[in-house]
Amino acid sequence: MKNTYIQLVVFFLFLSANSIGQVCTYSLSGIVSDIHNDAPISAIEIYIKELNKKVETDSLGRFQFSSLCPGKFTVVCSNRDGYKPIVKMFDVQDNVVYNFKIEVHLKELAEVKISTLSKPKDKLSTLHASLLFGDELEKNRGTTLGDIVKSIPGVSTLNTGNSVSKPVIHGMHSNRVLILNNGIRQEGQQWGSEHAPEIDPFIADKISVVKGANSIMYGSDAIAGVILIDTKTLPDSVKIGGEVNVVGNSNGRGGTVASFLEGKFKQVPAFSWRIQGTLKQNGTIAAPDYLLINTGLKEYNFSYELGWKKKNYGTELFYSQFNTTLGIFGASHIGNLSDLQRAFESKVPLESTSFTYAIYRPYQHVEHELFKAKYYVNTGKIGKLTFVYARQYNWRYEFDKHRPLNDALAAKNNPDLEFHLTTHTLDLNWSHVRKNGFKGTIGAQGMQQANTYRGRMLVPSFENGSIGIFAVENWLYKRWEIEAGLRYDVKQLSVYQSEKTMNNSSLLVKTSHPFEQASASIGANYTVDTTWKYMLNLGTAWRAPSVNELYSNGLHHGAAAVEYGNSALKVEQAYVATFTGLYTPNEDLHIEVSPYYNYIQGFIYRQPTPTPVLTIRGAFPGFNYTQTDAILRGVDVYTSYHFTHWLEWKVKGSMLRAWNQGANNWLILMPADRIETEFGFHWDHNQRLKHIYIGPSIQYVAKQHRVPEGSDFVDPPSAYWLTSLHIATHFRMGRNHAEIGLQITNLLNTRYRDYMDRFRYFTDAMGRNISLRLKYRF
Amino acid sequence: MKRRMFKPFMLALGALSLVVVSCKKDEVKPAEPTPPNESELITTMELHFTDSLRGNTFKVVFNDPDGDGGKAATQFDTIHLLKNSTYKVEVTLLDKSKTPADTISNEVLEEANDHLFFYSSNPTSLVNVKIEDKDSNGKNLGLKSTWKTSKDSNKGKVKVKLMHQPGVKDGTSATGDTDVEVDFQVNVN
Repeated sequence: MKNTYIQLVVFFLFLSANSIGQVCTYSLSGIVSDIHNDAPISAIEIYIKELNKKVETDSLGRFQFSSLCPGKFTVVCSNRDGYKPIVKMFDVQDNVVYNFKIEVHLKELAEVKISTLSKPKDKLSTLHASLLFGDELEKNRGTTLGDIVKSIPGVSTLNTGNSVSKPVIHGMHSNRVLILNNGIRQEGQQWGSEHAPEIDPFIADKISVVKGANSIMYGSDAIAGVILIDTKTLPDSVKIGGEVNVVGNSNGRGGTVASFLEGKFKQVPAFSWRIQGTLKQNGTIAAPDYLLINTGLKEYNFSYELGWKKKNYGTELFYSQFNTTLGIFGASHIGNLSDLQRAFESKVPLESTSFTYAIYRPYQHVEHELFKAKYYVNTGKIGKLTFVYARQYNWRYEFDKHRPLNDALAAKNNPDLEFHLTTHTLDLNWSHVRKNGFKGTIGAQGMQQANTYRGRMLVPSFENGSIGIFAVENWLYKRWEIEAGLRYDVKQLSVYQSEKTMNNSSLLVKTSHPFEQASASIGANYTVDTTWKYMLNLGTAWRAPSVNELYSNGLHHGAAAVEYGNSALKVEQAYVATFTGLYTPNEDLHIEVSPYYNYIQGFIYRQPTPTPVLTIRGAFPGFNYTQTDAILRGVDVYTSYHFTHWLEWKVKGSMLRAWNQGANNWLILMPADRIETEFGFHWDHNQRLKHIYIGPSIQYVAKQHRVPEGSDFVDPPSAYWLTSLHIATHFRMGRNHAEIGLQITNLLNTRYRDYMDRFRYFTDAMGRNISLRLKYRF
Repeated sequence: MKRRMFKPFMLALGALSLVVVSCKKDEVKPAEPTPPNESELITTMELHFTDSLRGNTFKVVFNDPDGDGGKAATQFDTIHLLKNSTYKVEVTLLDKSKTPADTISNEVLEEANDHLFFYSSNPTSLVNVKIEDKDSNGKNLGLKSTWKTSKDSNKGKVKVKLMHQPGVKDGTSATGDTDVEVDFQVNVN
């Protein structure tokens, strides 16, 4: 138990609110959090020596002493397992807010679960945030963002094979889930079910998922929830440090190398910096019985971040680039419905292959660029003004399976589908610190977006603009925390379509769709005692129909379906109730139960056309975008229990019922019920290996039989069990920290198909994968 | 000490200046016309019939000028044949979205080893189709065929299917992907 030290960093020193003329009314409050990732730490004892007063931090890491008289106090922030406490002197002449940052024992890092409760910045307090950091984030390093977040109950993925994985929250995905990359709304071609988020998971130091209507701060369309991807905070102290991650995967014989270097120089203490980069490649992926043709992937990403921080103001620049080329499983690109039928009936995929790293048609090439500039200034002692500008550029190329027959065309090797999307966003927020129990934020956001296409027309070129204003206020009163927010948005989508004129020339016709509406949120947290806590949020959110829902008109080659947009679609209006109950009677038991209820008016979905669509390639199923009233309700559960200090048991589960009111039937393409359990074995006593964790787990995914009859080509696949094993250890190499992790997914090489994977029509899912990762921090 | 700190600082700055300049250009202007679509469409299938006995010719057309999806086909002819007769049939595939129209069937002929036209009659007694042309490997191609009609009047459908079978052509329709598949209504009188 040597080697551990507690470090203290001052963020807001004596941010105070005044209350003049009275004695013994001052308060001393703050948050205790992890120095590395700002995760709040509960059950830390805070002690005022002179008064012999003790409090414990709550599940949000908060503590508060009230009715203090002016004077000098010695405050002791204890730590677990006999670690050195932090002692701090305060001269209380006013209300004092002080945040303790503590170095958590390595065991803490290793044990990290989906954090009990944590608080990403700028999030509604009355919505529960699930946080991934530490080992829980590390163990899936090298996989996609979707695969990382699906370890949270209520989150699953919509897959197009292994490399295209989209997060699904409470049965909703694409435009209904917002992803905030470093505080910026990710704007790619997210409407497409085979368009994965264009983000390198290695930039994330912490990923938070906030389920429920999050419209107030992030945009009216956050119906299902938000995923917040946060980079590490820039270094506070003078140093040069970094990290190297190496991940190797057996399946696909691939690997990832990711690294960052960061620092701060003595000569310019206000300036801090980080550069980061990731290289990733894998070859042909294997199902248990066969190889999946053309499933290779190549990716290179990099980013840099610069900070200039003074006492009362600061500025940050962030730039990142994401570049990927990914093969699309060849046997999934089919000519028509009879090819699809042939593919279902075949026991093995219709095309076989040998292992290769090469990527052939069909494939996608996607690049995404983000530039962000942030400036903040403290407005006196009462608040902070933040100004953020960002530009994103997204570039998507899709290549069909076959080159054109015409040699001249084939020689050009043009993508068959090409999108260019540029987005500018501007955010202005002012937040005031808590005073008399109140804190809050007001803000405005603007967005301007333009998209063009080349090649095959799937959606027309468009411009998209929006302006939103919001205010949110939070009131802390005794055991209550009450929060209310309001937002108003004005949006306009303009599409440009070429139409033939009388003299057979073409004319560009602009059609505009204006939308405007308010959204609201009200919620309350009630902390009964250290054992019970409840959180309830009632929120509205609305989403303007997206360009594909309004205008898509064409054949999806991969999906073997013809989609017809409907330009008369109206706004989708959601009313969402989200509740979380937390039961933590002692250090060993943690139970959280989160039921939710979404009522969505005008829920936009694809309804099959009465007759198939006839083309020169044969018949295809047709789909019209249409609206209905839908109810999506369910419950997510997370529990963990320590039998002893070395044995932990975790259970996660989620259940969803999605009902189409209009058709009086189930909604199609909703994740099946699932439950997962993991036993965690901890060893701590070894002197050299600081901590060893061994965690076998089993997941059961039920068959989704709640589907509308006859609306799919084949029945949903059977239920399946998946086993996996996670082993990790942390140790010191010289003066530095290192980690080794071994993650085996689909341990028993089970043959299975998932309902939410579009490749289930053609192939079994990926077989066993052994992934070994090394991390070295210096 | 000062020198030791300065060197990495300069290195970092150098690396950063490299990444800063790598911003991508964007030329996104939705209000300007989209460049013409250079990808290939098969919009039209023509079957050219020659009555072997009487020598008269006619053509039957499936035409979907905007390709798959979009608007429905503008022309989809029924095939009218005389009973107990033999016809020579030639297939032409066109891309009419280009000006002038591109004759895709010529490209199919060039890549004969990777393609197969496949004909199936329902009921089978309606028309008996025999493929008359071969690729350089001696396997059927099917751009040219002979159709022999039933002895009695009958109605049904004939499926004309072009399979793309790069490297997997084995003379059956069970491999590769479908490039074209049209079910023509056939009336034999």
